[in-house]
Amino acid sequence: MKIPDTIIAVRNLDFYFKDFKALDQMNLNVPTGSIYGFLGPNGAGKTTTIRVLLDLFHAKQGEVEIFGQSIRQHRHDILSRIGALIEAPSIYKHLSGRQNLEVLRRMLGLPKQRIDEVLEIVRLRENADKKAKEYSLGMCQRLTLAAALLNDPELLILDEPTNGLDPSGIIEMRELILRLNQEHGKTIFLSSHILSEIEKLVSHVAIIDRGKILYEGTLAGLQQQSNQNITVVVKHPDQAMPLLSEHNYQLLEQTATGFVVQVNTEEEIAELNRLLVMNNHEVYQLSPAEQGLESIFLNVTQKLDA
Amino acid sequence: MNPAIALSRGLQAEVYKFRRTFLFWFLILAPGFVPAINLIIFLRRGHQIVEAGTNAWPHLLQMSIEPGNMLFPFFVMIVALFVNSIETTSNTWKLIYTQPLSRLTVYLSKVLVFILMLFVSLSLFGIFSIGVGWLVGIFMPDLGFDQAFKTQQFFLAPTRIYLMTLGYASLQFLISQQSKNLILPLGIGIGGLISFLILVQGWEYVEYHPYGFQFLGIGDYADLDASFWAQSKFMIRSLGLALVTFSVGAWLMWRKRIV
Repeated sequence: MKIPDTIIAVRNLDFYFKDFKALDQMNLNVPTGSIYGFLGPNGAGKTTTIRVLLDLFHAKQGEVEIFGQSIRQHRHDILSRIGALIEAPSIYKHLSGRQNLEVLRRMLGLPKQRIDEVLEIVRLRENADKKAKEYSLGMCQRLTLAAALLNDPELLILDEPTNGLDPSGIIEMRELILRLNQEHGKTIFLSSHILSEIEKLVSHVAIIDRGKILYEGTLAGLQQQSNQNITVVVKHPDQAMPLLSEHNYQLLEQTATGFVVQVNTEEEIAELNRLLVMNNHEVYQLSPAEQGLESIFLNVTQKLDA
Repeated sequence: MNPAIALSRGLQAEVYKFRRTFLFWFLILAPGFVPAINLIIFLRRGHQIVEAGTNAWPHLLQMSIEPGNMLFPFFVMIVALFVNSIETTSNTWKLIYTQPLSRLTVYLSKVLVFILMLFVSLSLFGIFSIGVGWLVGIFMPDLGFDQAFKTQQFFLAPTRIYLMTLGYASLQFLISQQSKNLILPLGIGIGGLISFLILVQGWEYVEYHPYGFQFLGIGDYADLDASFWAQSKFMIRSLGLALVTFSVGAWLMWRKRIV
């Protein structure tokens, strides 16, 4: 079956928990073949979105199309081409890793050797016959990922896959995700609130806050769009910062040597400099701030607050 | 996909996940509880129970069915709870409902495994009870277990209990499926049973109380010539309730937000 260029298309999606609007006119376009980062703080609506994508929650308004088909009308076809990992691991602790996969293999009607193949991919073959209750959290996450890979899906939906993992577990999971994308050709929809994780993995990104999409596009585009902040280094930042705040400059973060200010035009930079000098501040440095995704994210979400 | 193939896959997966669980051993060992006690009683005090020269089988039948019928509701509550809580405690509701099987198939697989488990356990109860008669007959040949008896009664009476049980079994299943709390379904079940035991003393509509069908409808099971369908109104009410409750459960699971 031909896969369209956009593997997930969400149009004007609203979702309510009673009176609380959890998703607000959401639009998403996930390109086929991408690693798509779905970024937002806790409670922003990431897991709710994922549950709607997987037909665990039914939205009354809006459209969700995956592989060019509506999830409500073609649930079976779509789910047979998706693998998912949602929040905490879903594992029968009294069974071994292999037996956990056997439960799903029976549901899917797949050949037995597929279990060994996915255990190999997630590098869990040596521990496959241990009971899952003896697994570390990292192993549990890899087993859940193995379960998601059983039906050889074209699209993987991973909700906070590194949540709770130690640094080596995070690195392992990151390498695995990259491998699945690059070597196995899977499109990966990856949600996270760990911003540095997304930054190192994704080609495309969407930022969600309070149920609204604030940005969607390439990672480079996001960085370009937000590259107008400057780092200010002065002799007495503790005095300079309140002065700038009084003049309606938006201070984004304090660094070891200075602080970062949001500016919109070059003229604003000159004006800021003049203000500091006129008030007898010794200005040592005005330079473009190198923005990590974290500060871009804060920048974007604060714009909504303004 | 062919619905029969889908259901077969759902059933195979559902049965497999209970291996090496408490529930698996409970299903096998619990039906042996009353027979084991009966075995000890007959071996130690058989001659005080059975008059010399009479048939011992009717005694065994009575000593099996009556306590069995009394304990079976507790067994049903525990099975209904564990069939569902295995998903709640493993955090796997979302896993099974994101597989490419319809929600109805996944739900039906669980329902069928549940009612099959109850049936298998009652059948084991019948087998174990007859086994007690044979064993006692070997060790105490003069006790009267060598006399002719319609031993199918050890299966027919439990089958009638089974059919009259499915009504409240479906209620216990629904409550256990909808509740994340493990104690609540047991509390409601025991409350239902106790309320029947109180109401049976004088309430005119008590025969519609679902937790009492198997007590009111068991009838004279010792009468070997009595029809299987005697007191069939309790079986019909029980099966009717089961049909309605399982359908409501299917509808709730179809529209439920799976977390």
